[in-house]
Amino acid sequence: MRTQRPFVAALLALSACAALAQAKPWSAIGRAATPAEIKAWDIDVRADFKGLPPGKGSVAQGELLWEAKCASCHGSFGESNEVFTPLVGGTTRADIERGRVASLTAAGVPHRTTLMKVSKVSTLWDYIHRAMPWNAPKSLSTDEVYAATAYLLSLADVVPADFTLSDKNIAEVQKRLPNRNGKVFGHDLWDVAGKGDVKNAACMAKCPVDGKVTSAFPDSEWGSNGNLADQNRLVGPLRGVVANGSK
Amino acid sequence: MPNDSPSAAPGRILKAPEGQLDTARLMAARTARRSFMGKALAMGAGATAGGASAADGDPAILNLPEHSKGLGQGVATTGYGAPSKYEANVQRRESPGLTRVPQASVSFCPLQGLFGIITPNGLHFERHHQGWWDVDPEQHRLMVNGLVKQERVFTMDDLMRLPSVSRIHFIECGANTGIEWNKVALPSVQYTHGMLSCCEYTGVTLSTLLDMCGADLKGQRYVLAEGADGSSMTRTIAMKNALDDVIVAWGMNGEMLRPENGYPLRLVVPGVQGVSWVKYLRRIEVGDQPYFTKDEEVHYVDLMPDGLHRQFTSVQECKSVITTPSGGQKLLDRGYHNVSGLAWSGRGKVKRVDVSFNAGRSWRTARIDGPVLSKALTRFNIDWVWDGSPVVMQSRAIDETGYVQPRINQLRAVRGTRSIYHNNAIQSWRVAESGTVYNVQTT
Repeated sequence: MRTQRPFVAALLALSACAALAQAKPWSAIGRAATPAEIKAWDIDVRADFKGLPPGKGSVAQGELLWEAKCASCHGSFGESNEVFTPLVGGTTRADIERGRVASLTAAGVPHRTTLMKVSKVSTLWDYIHRAMPWNAPKSLSTDEVYAATAYLLSLADVVPADFTLSDKNIAEVQKRLPNRNGKVFGHDLWDVAGKGDVKNAACMAKCPVDGKVTSAFPDSEWGSNGNLADQNRLVGPLRGVVANGSK
Repeated sequence: MPNDSPSAAPGRILKAPEGQLDTARLMAARTARRSFMGKALAMGAGATAGGASAADGDPAILNLPEHSKGLGQGVATTGYGAPSKYEANVQRRESPGLTRVPQASVSFCPLQGLFGIITPNGLHFERHHQGWWDVDPEQHRLMVNGLVKQERVFTMDDLMRLPSVSRIHFIECGANTGIEWNKVALPSVQYTHGMLSCCEYTGVTLSTLLDMCGADLKGQRYVLAEGADGSSMTRTIAMKNALDDVIVAWGMNGEMLRPENGYPLRLVVPGVQGVSWVKYLRRIEVGDQPYFTKDEEVHYVDLMPDGLHRQFTSVQECKSVITTPSGGQKLLDRGYHNVSGLAWSGRGKVKRVDVSFNAGRSWRTARIDGPVLSKALTRFNIDWVWDGSPVVMQSRAIDETGYVQPRINQLRAVRGTRSIYHNNAIQSWRVAESGTVYNVQTT
C-alpha cells in the first residue's frame, strides 16, 4: 500500500490542475434546492399576485382574529398610535373613486396611515403573512391572512362589512385601494447613474446666500436626547454641553 | 515663562468636563491660562499633591502616576479587548421618543467621537424592524431561486469557500437627517446624521452567485433579497447594481458580522440606502418585476408636494457633515482648531469638500489626506482659527459625477418638507461666543 502513495498523490495533483483549468472551478459549490425547500421559503407575493396561495377569509372572521392577535398593538379599528403609526384613517370614499388620497396634501393631518400610502393590496397580504403578528410572525394560516387583510380593508370602506376576500377577487379589490394611483417610480434615485433632481453650484466667493439663521436648536431642549456631556469624549478640544434636567 | 497665545497653551488646566463650569469661571480660567502664575491660580493657589507644588508645574508630570510606578496587567486579560473605561461616553444611543418599541427602532452612531472613516463594529448604527437575533451559522442557509437555471442552496461552509472580495463602503439609512426637513429638531450630529457607518465588508459578489445559478438576464430583471428574521425584510435590488458591486457578506472590519448587523450573512448594496442591505440574508430571487414589498410601499417612499410618493428611491446622494466641532459640543478655547468631518456619495468617489465659516457666503477647500474610495466615507480636515465671535460653519461635498451637495432650501424647493427620506442638505453648525455649538438652518 505504501508504495502506491506517490501514485495517488500524482493523481490528486492532476485532478487539482484540471479543476484550476476550468474557468470557474468554484461553480459547482452548493446544491440544488428541493421543491419542498423552495415552497417553504419562497413566500413573497408580487403585485401581479404571483406567489399568492389560494384561500379566503371574511371581514367577520378577520374581526375576531384582529381582536385576538392585532388589536393590542394596532387598536380594534387599526386606529391606534400607541405602538405603531395608525394603519387606518385619512382616506375617503372619494379617494377610493380617484385612487389618490387627498389628505396627503392637506395641512394638519396628524399621521400618514398605512392605507393612505399603500398602493398595492399584495403588499398588505405579503407583509401580514411574513411578519405578523408582531411577536409570532408567520404563525397565521393562509385563510387567516385573507381574513385579517379583509378586516383591515373594511375599516377604510375598501370592502363592505359582509365581504369575503379570496385569491379570486383580490384583483378587483386592488382597483379600490385609495392610493393606488399615488406612486411614481423614483427613477433618478433608483439608478446609480442618475443625475439628481436638486442642483447646487460650487460657488466659492460672494455667494448669493443671505446666511440668516431660520431655525436653531433651543437651549431649553439640550436634555431632549440625554445629557450631551455624557455623550462626548473626556479629552480633546471640546466637551459635551451639560443639560440640566436631561432625560 | 509667560505665554500669551491661548492656542499654544500647553497641557490642560481645568478638570474635565469643563463644560460644567459656568461662563464666568470658564472665562476666568481661560484668562488665567495665559500666564504660568495664572495656571497656579486656576488650580487653586497652594494646591499640592505628592509633595510637588502646582507652582512648579503640572502635577500630572511632577507626580508620577501609578502606571509609571507599578506592574501592569498581563496578556489576554480579556480575550476580546474592549475600549478604555475612559471612552465609555462614546456609545450608540436611541433618540428618546422616536419609536415606541426597541425591536423596531434605531440606535445612532456617535459620529462626534469617531476618527478616520472606519466605524468600529460595536458602534455601528442599528436599525431593526422586528428585533435582532444571534443566528447559528451552521444552521443558516442561503437559497437562490426564481429565474435561474438551477435553484440552489448554500451553507455558510459553501459560501465562505467562494472567491471573496473585501471592500470598504458606507451604509446610510434613507431616513438619516429625515426629521430635519422642516426645521432643526435634534441637538447633536449623533442624532442628526448617526444612521451612518462605514466598514470593510468581506464576502462573495452577488454576481458570482447569480452566475453560478445561471441567472436569466434577458429582459428587465430584478433581484429580491429576503431576511431570515421575523420581519423577513424584503427589498427589490436593481439588477444593474446586483451585477455590479453588491456583496453577499459575512465579514465586517476583519471579523464576522455582528449579530445586530445581520450575523452570519447580510447583503451589502454600495451606495444604496441601508434598508436594502438585508440582514440575516436567507434568499435571493430573480424576477421580471419589482416586488413592491412593505418597505417599498408603506415606508421608504418619499412624499412630494403634489401628494405623490416617489417609490424605489434608493441611492444615497452626495452628502457631508462636520463632526468636529458639531452640535451640542462646547469649544474649550479660541485660536486654532482642526475642523474635521465626513463626506460620501452613493454615486462614486468624493471629489472635493469645501468648508464655509460664514454661513455659505465664501468657501475654502478642505484637505483630504486619507483614502478616497467609491461609495465610502471620506474624511476631510481644514484649519480654522476662531477669534471668539459667532460663526456658522458648513461643509459641502462634490462627487465625481460633478453633483454638488445642495442647501436645504434647494431641496425644499423641489421636494417640499414632508418626504422624510433622502435629506442630503448642507448642515450648518453655529458656534456661539460661549463656544457652544448649535444645530441651525440658514437661508
